[in-house]
Amino acid sequence: MLAVFFLQKDISEPQQKAIEEELNKSPLVSKSRYVDSQMALERFKEKFTELQGIVKNLDTNPFPPSFEVTFKEKALSYDNVLSFIQKVKAMPGIEDVQFNQDWVDRMQSFSRLAKAVGFFLGGILILASFFIISNIIKINVYSRKNEIEILRLVGATNIFIKIPFLIEGVVLGIIGGMFSLLLLLFLIQIFPIYLGSSLGVLNELINFRYLSFSQSINIIMLGGLIGFLGSMSSLSRFLKT
Amino acid sequence: MIELYRIWKQYQKPHWALSDVTLKIDPGDFCFITGPSGSGKTTLLKIIYREIFPTQGQIIIDKRNILRISDHKIYRLRREMGIVFQDFRLMFHKKVFDNVGVVLQVLGVPRKEIRRRVFNALRMVNLHHKMWEYPSYLSYGEQQRVAIARAVVNRPKIILADEPTGNLDPELAFEIMSLFKEINRQGATIIICTHDRELIRHFGQKIVFLYKGKLLRKETL
Repeated sequence: MLAVFFLQKDISEPQQKAIEEELNKSPLVSKSRYVDSQMALERFKEKFTELQGIVKNLDTNPFPPSFEVTFKEKALSYDNVLSFIQKVKAMPGIEDVQFNQDWVDRMQSFSRLAKAVGFFLGGILILASFFIISNIIKINVYSRKNEIEILRLVGATNIFIKIPFLIEGVVLGIIGGMFSLLLLLFLIQIFPIYLGSSLGVLNELINFRYLSFSQSINIIMLGGLIGFLGSMSSLSRFLKT
Repeated sequence: MIELYRIWKQYQKPHWALSDVTLKIDPGDFCFITGPSGSGKTTLLKIIYREIFPTQGQIIIDKRNILRISDHKIYRLRREMGIVFQDFRLMFHKKVFDNVGVVLQVLGVPRKEIRRRVFNALRMVNLHHKMWEYPSYLSYGEQQRVAIARAVVNRPKIILADEPTGNLDPELAFEIMSLFKEINRQGATIIICTHDRELIRHFGQKIVFLYKGKLLRKETL
């Protein structure tokens, strides 16, 4: 993200120094560059050659000096950047600040919406897998009712009877987790190919990034946990006595 | 050792499967329970190993009121018992070896030891050559012997057997009874339901006659 701080034309040396220092010491800023009036004018001439006549007729240089600040992309919390910009803007010597706030706001609310939808769908899927696993175990308990009965009568403890079912639930959950990761990997590979042309500029901005290693492990473990809880719930209902 | 006090059991009104049965079985007894079918023999056994609860009455085994034992501790009682069920209750998708060995498996006995003891138990019922077969390929009589091997493999303090010789020819029935007698001689208490009078005459010590749920008489020979 980029922000341009325009300075007052009559800014004093210490004021400018103070601003520069403030920018340089912030951990959010990746680089800042001072552009004086002359440079701004040159740039304008270069970019808009057909408007050179207008500039030539001016007596004074209308372009204010400015600091062009690039913020770090990583560890970028938008709110922090915004409050930093407000803080610098309030410093003496600053005329105005320009950055693409509207666009950023829209992107942010879009990403919030995407997140909320993601959590909602994720929650539903977690519930669904919980019930599916608990039903699978229930069917298994039913089909092995006879064996469970015999184990009971020869003096097996509850935990001895439950363990195979619990292991089954956990294994199912873990396999489910791994399968979903594979599916996600596959989707991330093909999604940009299909949408690339229609997304245009967006494609450059949205970064299709695979889950980190620890996130993947967490998903697999969550799968195991869901399997464990699912089989526990059906076992506690069907193996009461 | 096993004391039943005024046991009543009703499955469905108005019939009583057991009515007012009071019975005491001493340690080391070799006891037959006999009576026509429907007289409550199986119900009495089921109450002793607590598969079912009596409608009324109390049962004391080894100074414990077994009706008060909670469900998750009942395994302790069952581990002291070897039970031969009338319907055998074998696991048909598991081999004979596993069917007998499961008793030791739940106790956490090492695999090698399980193998040795299962083999010995099966040899006692003359079925060691079928250790690795599935029960469904065995005859009724053989399945019954698997059930007997399972009941004795752990050398329990109490053996409850419901018609253990019902499907066996007389010679084999005598052999099985001799096996029970041998285990009895080593100190176990044995309770056998049967209506085989020949066996009772030959092996009986203590005989309990049931008729329509009532205890008709007790005899000690």
